[in-house]
Amino acid sequence: MKKGFSGSLLAGCAGAALCAVFLAGPAFAADKTIKIGNVEPLSGPSASVGIQGKQAREMAVEEINAAGGIKSQGGAKLELVYADSKSDPTVGVTETERLINTEKVNLVTGCWNSAVTYPATQVAERYGIPFVVPVAVRDTITERGFKYVFRVAAKDSWWVRDQFRFLKDMQDETGVKLTKIAFLFENGDWGTGFAEKWREMAKKDGYEIVLDEPYPSTATDLTPVVTKLKSARPDIVMLVSNAADAILLTNTMAEMQLKPKVVLASGGGHADPKFLENTDQNALGIFDEVEWNTDVNKAGAKAANEKFKKKYGYDLTGESVDAYAAMYVIADALERAASTDPQKVRDALAATNLTAGPAMIVSYDGVQFDETGQNKNAGIVIIQVAEINGKPERVTVWPKSARRAGYTPAFPANK
Amino acid sequence: MTAVIQAALNGIMMGAMYGLTALGLTLIFGVMKVVNFAHGSLLMVGMFSAYWLIRLTGIHPYLALCIVPPILFVFGYYLQDVVIKPVFKAERQVREPLTVIIVTTGVWYVLDNLALMLFGAEYRTVRTAISNKSFALGEFIISVPKFSGFVAAMLTAAGLALFMRKTKTGMALRATSLDREAANLMGIDQYRVYNIAFGLGTAIAGIAGCVLIPFYYVYPSVGVVFDIRAFIIVVLGGLGSIPGALLGGLVIGLIESVFSQFMASTWTEAIIYAIFLVILFVKPSGFFGHKQDW
Amino acid sequence: MSRKQLDHTLLALAALVAFGLPLVVTSPTYLQILILLFFYAYLTTAWNLVGGFAGVLPLGHAVFVGIGAYTSSILTLQYGVSPWIGMLVGGLIAALVGVVIGLPTFRMRGAYFCLCTIAFAEGIRVMIENIDALGPLRINGPRGLLIPLKDASFWHYQFMSKEPYYYIILTLLILVLALTWFISRSKIGYYLAAGGEEPEAAAALGINVANCKLLSMALSCFLTALAGTFYAQLMLYFYPKGLMGLDLSFEIAFIALIGGRGAIAGPVIGALVLRPLNEFTRIYLSDMLPGLHLVIFGLILILVMLYKPQGLTAPLAALYDRLARKITVPGDAR
Repeated sequence: MKKGFSGSLLAGCAGAALCAVFLAGPAFAADKTIKIGNVEPLSGPSASVGIQGKQAREMAVEEINAAGGIKSQGGAKLELVYADSKSDPTVGVTETERLINTEKVNLVTGCWNSAVTYPATQVAERYGIPFVVPVAVRDTITERGFKYVFRVAAKDSWWVRDQFRFLKDMQDETGVKLTKIAFLFENGDWGTGFAEKWREMAKKDGYEIVLDEPYPSTATDLTPVVTKLKSARPDIVMLVSNAADAILLTNTMAEMQLKPKVVLASGGGHADPKFLENTDQNALGIFDEVEWNTDVNKAGAKAANEKFKKKYGYDLTGESVDAYAAMYVIADALERAASTDPQKVRDALAATNLTAGPAMIVSYDGVQFDETGQNKNAGIVIIQVAEINGKPERVTVWPKSARRAGYTPAFPANK
Repeated sequence: MTAVIQAALNGIMMGAMYGLTALGLTLIFGVMKVVNFAHGSLLMVGMFSAYWLIRLTGIHPYLALCIVPPILFVFGYYLQDVVIKPVFKAERQVREPLTVIIVTTGVWYVLDNLALMLFGAEYRTVRTAISNKSFALGEFIISVPKFSGFVAAMLTAAGLALFMRKTKTGMALRATSLDREAANLMGIDQYRVYNIAFGLGTAIAGIAGCVLIPFYYVYPSVGVVFDIRAFIIVVLGGLGSIPGALLGGLVIGLIESVFSQFMASTWTEAIIYAIFLVILFVKPSGFFGHKQDW
Repeated sequence: MSRKQLDHTLLALAALVAFGLPLVVTSPTYLQILILLFFYAYLTTAWNLVGGFAGVLPLGHAVFVGIGAYTSSILTLQYGVSPWIGMLVGGLIAALVGVVIGLPTFRMRGAYFCLCTIAFAEGIRVMIENIDALGPLRINGPRGLLIPLKDASFWHYQFMSKEPYYYIILTLLILVLALTWFISRSKIGYYLAAGGEEPEAAAALGINVANCKLLSMALSCFLTALAGTFYAQLMLYFYPKGLMGLDLSFEIAFIALIGGRGAIAGPVIGALVLRPLNEFTRIYLSDMLPGLHLVIFGLILILVMLYKPQGLTAPLAALYDRLARKITVPGDAR
């Protein structure tokens, strides 16, 4: 056996020295700025939404700072600090800790992936730093009795509830009765969570579940799954997919000439701008559930979208709007707290009653958090992909009050 | 029943393509006796090459088949010559150069992450002239890109078999794979043979890349998904056996497609691993491999 | 002074520095980095018991980390058992699984063994991802397990600050290094060395190499599982792909290889060099160049295997030897 210890002593001292060098971490004097840490998936499978979230935040913070910053704190400007979660919960946890302990942020937002948000928010709770979740639907994020976690978007049980309300409303409106339902979902955290609730709601509403299939998001070939779907002959197909598999699934269904009466997706991959780019005509008729759509009937929505599109090259989506609104929620709370003390900021957040201002381009009417930190008013809209002026476009169809004027939804989309 | 047959048809086509991805691996495995952990990355390089070629020039995927593989042959040839050959030379005495395995893993890390740095992590698809097209065969639907892939796989396998049997270089490769020392004594430059084998293996990965791009998406770590499957197929089919790789691929493709009609597709993955382990224990030389190879 | 005295003094000094570091380094982020450093050093040293001593290349060891984490966490979450006890149970289960895997695979040669360990590890991981509950045990499939915040206490294996975690993993690391040293000097160590280099001769002498290999495997898996529990209690969250994936398995093996498998402190050196590199490239460079740290890792791996396949320990040990010889009094043979 080799004499390992000798070499290790040398290396051990070298290692200690290495650590000491990096001890002298960055020490910059902070001006009158309030730091907001953001854990987002800037690389990895959800990179495109992560980057959109980053851009939306930047747009909001620019506007807030240009309008004078946080006036109750001497015009303090907001500063955004980012950390890449890579959609990996472990990295998310480590990065949240780093943002809190090293970067000394005053608030944290993030993380888009529920699987990352779930443990990362526990870190913030542990350290008593307010954590605002713009988008991340897993119910349990706000159901643990935490005091420092606030969520702007709706939770997934509400998403599911609204999906089934939509189905019922449309069947009432058109007089068409649909009975057989199929569930197809990515086998990660998000998909499995939705599927659980789907089963409950389907049972309640009296549907017959003809297929209940998880599939691996990275599958090389979805033809077997589509074949299975075809032989199950469902009326309604409910989907939860990430970007790449949403594209693969839609194209494979077109290839296999499978045209169910109703296809209802749950946002995420289907809402990604790349989806329509890569599926084009194959996506016509699909219904999707999102927090927001470009044609939503709210003041300032169109202008904000134009501004975003001009700056970054694509439309706002539900996720980016939530991130945008979250910044205004934070600014509003900081304004009322008149301090950066975490406890005071936390209390100000809990008392939020935001019903006016640039944040109100969201599809619902105000942000108010209940005792669990959940935004009571959070809602969703259902869109349908339809051909408008020769191009596939997403058109808001539900709730009826939000429906784009002059558009009659094709329900069922196929016979 | 229709569903099962439809699934089987799909499974055969996908299986042939899996076999194609494994073909290059079995060649390298057979001739050089090493596990090339970088094979998945080579496939990724093939896919990205095909992607960029088609995206930037819009040429038909069949034409890409003429351009990408030769480029990849050169890439593989020199990769082996520069990076891996020195390790071989250093481990001349050792029958199983484990260090080569480790070096190929290093190559894998480097290639995959270079791709990540250069192209970003997003999934990319490109619409080609044959994407999404299908034709009917009775009551069954056959996807055009997959069928082309099936044909390409068969042709490549046949072409490779002919090459190995009829050409001088092919015979040199076979000689080296059967007995390295004897081949050396006969005047065959072992290292040149290795370079050619590696280059060929990479070129085949290039063919596989061209064949997959019309219907699958590419991203820096796409190789990992196919890599593990390729290893399973190679062991299943037998080291260095071309028909073995095809047959192994077909088996895996069929299991994936047909079994998922009866259970969640997430379980078929576990079943494939289970079968892999059974083969490793019961008949490690696979369908057509030689017993003394390991 | 004599060579032996020098060695012992430096060893004591290193231990002193290691134990005293938290008094100087107070930032929780840097403590976390050090904790993860020791964590990897521990894992790779445990791996070394099989990968270095038994002469094979297991590439699926992360599965045992997962077994440890899942066992102790399920026992804590559902039955209120202290994670310390759960840790030991996890270790035993891991050792058992390790032996079951080792029995058929140790017969195989080189690359087949590698593939086998990968297949086992991935197979188990995929199975866990597909199972929501196994009878009364909640496994939660791909979503992983979250350990809720409890009052900080030793019994709960949860602490408010990083220091206790630091000392726990440091102690574990020292224990596993001592164990490795002890084994290398024992009969088993010699048997394994003989079995690795001259299997036929060893068999002729009546040494049951297979049993020795199995023993080292059982030990290695037991120890690896302990780290799984530590990780679960440190992060309070884990999921199959992150904890049992090939990424971790490969990283463990390659840190040991770069450091020098077979050497007692080889893995530690590998960890000391590679982990800070990993962390700092990720923190400071991943914004602009994602994946750079893995490119560097891969390049180091290739270069080390090309020029110093025995690992970095050999040249470092030689360097130390030369320096030591200059300052010590010759005479006391080692």
